[in-house]
Formats: sequence, C-alpha cells, structure tokens
Amino acid sequence: MNNVGLTINARPVHVVADDDRMVLLDVIREDLGLTGTKQSCDRKGQCGTCMVLVDGKAVLSCITRVSSLEGAEVTTIEGLGTPDRPNLVQQAFVLAGAVQCGFCIPGMIVTAEELLAANPDPTRAEVKRALRRNLCRCTGYVKIIDAVQLAGRFIRGETSPAELMPDPDAPKIGTSFVRPSAMAKATGTALFGADIRLPGALEIAVVRSTHAHARIMGIDTAAAAAMPGVAGVMTAKDIRGTNRLKYQASDRPILCDTKVHTLGDAVAIVAATTKDQALAAAEAVVVGYELLPVLTSPDAALADGAPRVHEDTPNLCYSQPIIKGDAAGAFASAAAMVEGRFRTQIVHQAPLEPEVSLAWMEGEGEDAELVVVGRSINIHLHMQTLQEALGWEAIRYEEPFSGGQFGIKVEVITEGIAGAAALHFNRAVRYVPSLAESMLATSKRHPMEIGTRLAADADGRLTAMAMDITVDNGAYMSLGRVILNRALHMLTSSYLVPNLAVTSRLVYTNNPWGSAARGAGPPQTHYALECAVDMLAEKMGIDPLEFRRRNSLRPGEAKATGHVVTEWPFPALCDAIQPRYEAARRDAAAAGSEGPVRRGIGLGAAAFGIAMPGDKSIGFVELDPDDGVTVYMAAGDPGEGNDSMISQLVASVLDLRLDKVRLRTRSTADTAASGPVSGSRATYMLGGAAVDAAQHLREAMDEVGARTYAAFAAAGKPVRYSGKRTTLEKAPLDPETGLGPSFEVQVFSVQMAEVEVNVETGEVQVLRMTSAADPGRVIHPVNVEGQLHGGMDMGVGFALREEFVAGRTKDWVTFKFPNIRHAMDMETILVETPRELGTLGSVGIGEMAMVSTAPAIVNAIRDACGAMVFELPATPERVKAALAVAAAAPVREPAAAAT
Amino acid sequence: MAEAVRSRALRTVAGRAVYFDDEGFFWDPDDWTEAAAEELARESGMTRLDDLRWRVIRFLRSYYLYHGRAPLNRELKAGTELSLLELERLFPDGIKLGARRLAGLPNPRTCLD
Repeated sequence: MNNVGLTINARPVHVVADDDRMVLLDVIREDLGLTGTKQSCDRKGQCGTCMVLVDGKAVLSCITRVSSLEGAEVTTIEGLGTPDRPNLVQQAFVLAGAVQCGFCIPGMIVTAEELLAANPDPTRAEVKRALRRNLCRCTGYVKIIDAVQLAGRFIRGETSPAELMPDPDAPKIGTSFVRPSAMAKATGTALFGADIRLPGALEIAVVRSTHAHARIMGIDTAAAAAMPGVAGVMTAKDIRGTNRLKYQASDRPILCDTKVHTLGDAVAIVAATTKDQALAAAEAVVVGYELLPVLTSPDAALADGAPRVHEDTPNLCYSQPIIKGDAAGAFASAAAMVEGRFRTQIVHQAPLEPEVSLAWMEGEGEDAELVVVGRSINIHLHMQTLQEALGWEAIRYEEPFSGGQFGIKVEVITEGIAGAAALHFNRAVRYVPSLAESMLATSKRHPMEIGTRLAADADGRLTAMAMDITVDNGAYMSLGRVILNRALHMLTSSYLVPNLAVTSRLVYTNNPWGSAARGAGPPQTHYALECAVDMLAEKMGIDPLEFRRRNSLRPGEAKATGHVVTEWPFPALCDAIQPRYEAARRDAAAAGSEGPVRRGIGLGAAAFGIAMPGDKSIGFVELDPDDGVTVYMAAGDPGEGNDSMISQLVASVLDLRLDKVRLRTRSTADTAASGPVSGSRATYMLGGAAVDAAQHLREAMDEVGARTYAAFAAAGKPVRYSGKRTTLEKAPLDPETGLGPSFEVQVFSVQMAEVEVNVETGEVQVLRMTSAADPGRVIHPVNVEGQLHGGMDMGVGFALREEFVAGRTKDWVTFKFPNIRHAMDMETILVETPRELGTLGSVGIGEMAMVSTAPAIVNAIRDACGAMVFELPATPERVKAALAVAAAAPVREPAAAAT
Repeated sequence: MAEAVRSRALRTVAGRAVYFDDEGFFWDPDDWTEAAAEELARESGMTRLDDLRWRVIRFLRSYYLYHGRAPLNRELKAGTELSLLELERLFPDGIKLGARRLAGLPNPRTCLD
C-alpha cells in the first residue's frame, strides 16, 4: 500500500493504492464517478475506450497502475470540455459525423488530443498510427480520421465550428444537422448501462455451463451461499414465471433447469456486495452434469440416432422451399452454368459495450414495479417477454445509451438475469459481465452452407437458380425462421431469375445460437449468389457490371418469392458506379502482375428488402407550450442515427427548427410500442409513423389556422396526435412453393472492392471499397455515409478475418476485430430515387451497407489471382488452398458442386 | 428484424369482413367496432357485455389510443377501479388474452411469430 497524490482534471486526488491491483480506470470511474472513460476489453488494453491523458500522453487507464502516478496530471474526457463548453476536438468529432454509438468516442478524442498537441496538421497515415490502439465498430474509422483532421483545421485557425454548423433554417431533409445525442457522447456525459450509479445494489455473477450439451443432475449452492458478502444464490426453481425467453419457440431459459444446450448457458445466479465476492462465490457453486453427445454441426444433428437438442422438437426445426417455373428444364437448355458450395462462419456482432443490465423494484406489494435497464432495440417486446418469463406483470423497461448492437440486441440477454435477481432478492442489482462472458452469452450470426447452381441463356440472361441452404440454428430458435425467410425473400437480390428450385433447412445444434446480425440472413446468401454471378459472367465473357445491369429486375417483374415490384432503380446504380469501376480497372491494369502481389477488382450487388408482411408501427407527436413538439415512440438509437432521422422528419413536416423537436424514445412508460429498431425498418416504419402523426397535428393546426400552442389550445383542439405505418395488406409465404408477398420497398447497392493478394502468403489487402447506394431520398447525408462506411468495414471483417469459436474467442484480439490499421480507403456514391411509398421518399440503409461486401472482396481475390474462396473468412490459408485448386484445375469448374 | 410471419385470416364478424391473427386478435386495431366486440364476447361464452365489462373495454381502448401500448395491470386497476381478481373474473380468457382481445388491442406477441 502507498499513498499516491495526483491531479485528475486539475482536482487534487490522494489514493491509497494497492500496488498489485489498482489501476487508474478504477479511480476515475468508481471513486470519482467520471464515467466518460469506458471499459470494453476486460482490462487487456485492447480497445482504447479507457484512454486518458497522463501528463499529456494518451494512456490506457485499464492497465495503468495507480502506484506509478505520483505527481501525475491526469485529464479525462470530462476535463477536455463539457456539452456547454466543448473543446475543438470534441466539436470536430460531432461536426464530422464521427459519433455513432459513441462508446469509443471519448477514448478516440483523448488520443486525438495528444496527437494534435504535438502535430496539429497530421496526415491520414499519422492519424491512423496515433489511433492504432483505439477500436470502433460503427464507423469504419473514415469519419474518425476526418474528425481528427478537421480538429487540426480548427486548431490551425483555417475554419471554425461556427462556420461548419448547419444553418438551423436549412431544409430538414438533406441537411446533415448535428445528431441530438452527439455532443453528450463526445463529452462523456451520455450514460451507458455501466455508468449508471445504483448505490447499495448487489453485484451479480452467473454460473455458466462448461459443457455444450449435458443434463443437470444437481446444483449445490451451499458453499457459495456461505461465502463473504454473498446475499444469496438462485437457480431456475427460484424464477416464478415460465423461465423461458420465448420468441418463436419456448426453448431458451433464463436459467437452465434440466439441461444445458450450449457452452455458456446460465445455470445459477450469485448476488453479493461486491463483484469480486460474487465471482468468487460463483466459482464455488457445484453443478453436477451428465454429459450428452455434442452436436457440432447440422450433419451431426441430422444423423440417424442423433439426440434431440430439445426433446419436444426435431433437430430439423424448419424448412421452406421456393419452387418457381421449370428450373430443371432451364438448366438442361442453359448456354452456361456455374456451381459451387459456399460456407460461412459463426460471427459475433461485436458491439464494443458489454451486455450490461440493471434492475430494481419500485413500490410495494402487488403493484411493485420491476424496473429493468438494458440494451434493447425493442423495449416493449423485451418487457413483454420478461413479464412471462419472470412471472411479474408490472415491468418498466428503460434503455440507456447503447454501445453498438448490430442485431444482437433484438434479444433479451442479461436483462432476464438481472430482473430475476431483483425480484428474488428484492434488491437493486447490477449485472456487468465481462467481455468474454458477454461474447459467450449472446446470439451470433448464423453460419450457413449454400449449394448454388446458376444458369444463363446465350444472351447472358439468367434463366435458373438452384440452392440448397442449410442453416446452423445453434441451440435456440430465437428468430431462426424469420432470418431464414428473410434470406429467401432476397434470394435473387437485384435480378430476374424466372426459374427457381430452392430448399432450405434450419437445424438445431449445440453450437452458439443464431439470431439477428446486421443483414440477418441475406449477407450469407448474397455471398453465394454474387460470387456465382461473377463466375457466370466470366464464363460467358461478359463484363460483370454489364452482366448485373443486364439481369436487373424491372418494374412489373417478380422477385424470388413471386412478389411483383413497382420500382427497381438498380440499373441506374450500375451506371453510377461505372466511371469508378472503369478507373479501378485501369488502375489494376497499370499495377501489372509482376511479383507476388496481384491487384484485383470485384463487385457485389444487393437489393435489400424493408418492411415485411404484417409489419406495423405507431407513434405520437404532441404540441408543447413552447410551440415545439415531443415525439413519443419506442426508438432505440444504438448508433445508426434514429434520433436525427425522427427529429428531421418531424421538423420537416411541421416547419420547426430541430431544437423544437424533443424525443421520448427509451422507456416503456411513456412510449408507444413502435416495434423493433432493426431489419432496416426504422426510417420506413418508425419514421413513417412519426411523419403520419406530425401530419395529423399539422392538418389539425391548419384547420383552425393556429400556428402556436396557445392559439391551438384556445381553439379547443387536442394537442396529441397518433400516427401509424402498416404493411397490413400482405401475407406470409406459401409453405409448399415459397411464393407470396414480400418486402414493401427495397434499398439498393453495388459495391466494388479493390484488393491486392500476395500469392505467396495468401494475404489480402483491401485497398479501397466503393459503395454506390440508392436509399431513396437522403435525410441526413453524413449519417448515410457513416452507415455505408461502417457496413463495409464490418463486411470486410466478415469476408477476411472475423470468426467466433465458442470457448476460444474471448476478446477483441481472438475475434480479430478490425482496427484502424485494417482501415481502407472508402468512397460512397449516393443516388437518390425517391420511393413512392417511402417516408418522405426515403427507405433506410443500415444493413444493406454490408450485404454485398464479402462477395465483392472474394470476387476481387479471384480477379486478382484466380483463387475462388468458397468458405469465409478468406484467411491466408484458405486463399493459398484456393490458389492450389486453381493451379490444378480451372476455377470456373469448382470441384464441389451443388446438388 | 423480428418482422411478422404470422398468418392471418379474414372473418366476417358483426357483418364486416375483418382480418384476425391466428390467436384471434384484430390484425388492425382500427377495424374494431362495438358490434364486433359483442360478437367476439358471445363466442367466448359471455351472453352479453354488461356495463362493467364495457367500462374495462373502453378504458383499454382509450388507453391504447392515447399511449400506443396496453396499460399495465396497476394502470388498468386505477382506470377501472376494479381489483385484478375482479378483472380476471370478468373475462373468461383473463385480461391479456381476453379483455385486450375484445378491446381490439394488438396481440402482445405481435411482430414476432
């Protein structure tokens, strides 16, 4: 022990430091409550979210020992500026559109501060070097780098924040106003789950299964319950509700009762005064297991005699064909055909923030309310799910700021644990799991195996496609059927394919359970489709961009599932990217093919559907006494910019400045149940409902000629108006043919990858990604660009590096999280074709941004060196193996064939 | 995500063709009528909706139309001045699947299966 004196944000602090354990992060967050400094990587120094300045130098506070800081001057994000008085770097991040979820931003700004103090005019390479220890999942780093350089311009006096601030009276559609939440995130005042103070709360630790498939024979909690600080231990029998988090099947328990179905399943909860005490006691809980055969693949799960993962359901838990036209006849008469069997991996969605939940009781007796604070993109559904699972009706679900989600928070994950513990112990609880535990406990992107055969006639027009799709559902259903159906709805993507023979299977295994992950189904099937399209184009000697344009669906023609479309601006998007494509071709030709490094160009396209049959959304707009309005609708914003979107749409309808539009979106207590902020539906469905409500208010005000609250109220009019958006006229797919109505609108993209492949090492470097996209009318151009950048970055990770292996992937290094050194140049081309049904012409963009990235990269690898990679990620080893196959046989005739 | 793939069926209720989901909830709350509620009540074994039941149904509808969500039980109790036990006894299928359904509120499981 020693007494360390230092200053933190100019405040003298004396710390009695334990040499072995105490790190600066704990003093900052726990002792001083400065929660702008974050923590993601289990204190391994991997993420940079905890960065602070020590004597002007950016350091990772999670690994900086307090004992080494005698006399040090420490500055945290709070010390750099406040929302009312932000410094220039903070303002640059906000104005450049670098702030999405915001979890990484304090660390980024602190690091940039150090760089700019020494070098106010850094190159992009210098910025990348400075930020090499900081991770971001949202932005693809492009706007982060832009922000640092913009801050340099501010510091050098070349421009000022005031000069770049949009005119408040500028058109509300098409202007990149500052996001409502951006400054709070940039100054560290936005509260994420672990930042919320809950004095006296018990800390939670969870006993998790060390086996992927086993029967629970007994749980001995006696020793754990007797340990210091332990308030109690609870198991499934202590949960008063169904103990099932039911979406499409009642198969996922909060705490396992009879069996564990996958590695990391929750078995018991320990509550204690401190987290260390809870974790120690969790180690002392003894669970008796009878091991069962572990089904590690769909093949194993479908084998004769394989045990069922869930006794009441076959492992083959869903199948859906698409039968259209005469595929066999079309294949028999085709001028050209290609085929291949494609495989994708399990991927973690990788939000930076761990899966934090808090819960407590308010009130007494049967009316006592359970308050659950969690990361959610569907707070009302999560509340309803918890009501049944916990057997407690009076629940209020609240969402703090959320550090990214990318689909993962369509699920109830740790909220069930926290809620169960708060009810059982009748105490406030905090459940702040480690990153490793968060990764183990959450859903993943479904891995798929996709046998594909694609044929065309002599004119280069697609005539038939056959696919057999096997989806590893993992241990729990969640939304497996929905995700498979989404893939089927978008199976032929941008193209007209008149004859289809498609089978699909969803299979329970003991692998990590699949659920929503950006794109949710289509990224996997687009990898197969778009690679096959390129292979076929090459086989027929047709330029791949021209081949795509030629095969575009046209208005009046039908998608894979038979739905006839009325708008299809895809060919114009091909035209839009054509000049960049030709320039890239010239650059590649100029680069030559001497030496081991080969340049290649690849394309991928996507027509991404939005607003499924039966979707509905509702919202309210209320006129306030200051003549502004408040919007009431559940609309989480884990980074996409839904706050901008809703604010600007409503402001546009009502001719208001943005500071007159307030949002109430985060609590079930005062919001409408507007449905999930997922499936790229936010702009179309939620935005549509908000616009409808605003239009109703506008019409009512116009009717009495009122322009103010006072005049409107004096006219005796109600001030609150509802709005809705529905797709009620639709119906599900036919179970026999797979035909039926589909998404109401589409967003389109063509992406181009420019890569270099080292044919000796198999290493792939992405030089540049270009995305041409048509999301309809653009509400906020910078936010759209940010989504495209982040999507491409995520797509590159999916294509080349990322893979989750249960038990082995435990942090950002083992996950191969894309860092700024992987960041490539990115270019976006926005085409705005206002959609007839769109929300003021707009349809949304979030998921489409990564759907066609992986095939574009794989096609570029093949273009560079002839290696066709049929399994993701395209690691150096797989590229080298594909090169060996290409050397032995023409790549156009892959050995593995679809059946 | 979580888009609906539920089935729906067109039924004629109180002389109007209306879509219902597979659990008997109105597909669109705007299709609800008092006559439809009476007919659905008879199907559930209630001879008629008396004033007490109408008080509950009207409160549910007005709450939903103002808030965009169903009331929690304590809000329902306060709004109807009835106990939970009384409320549950009024409707054969209870509050969640009985009263809410007759009032034309969305299925609590909407937007999922």
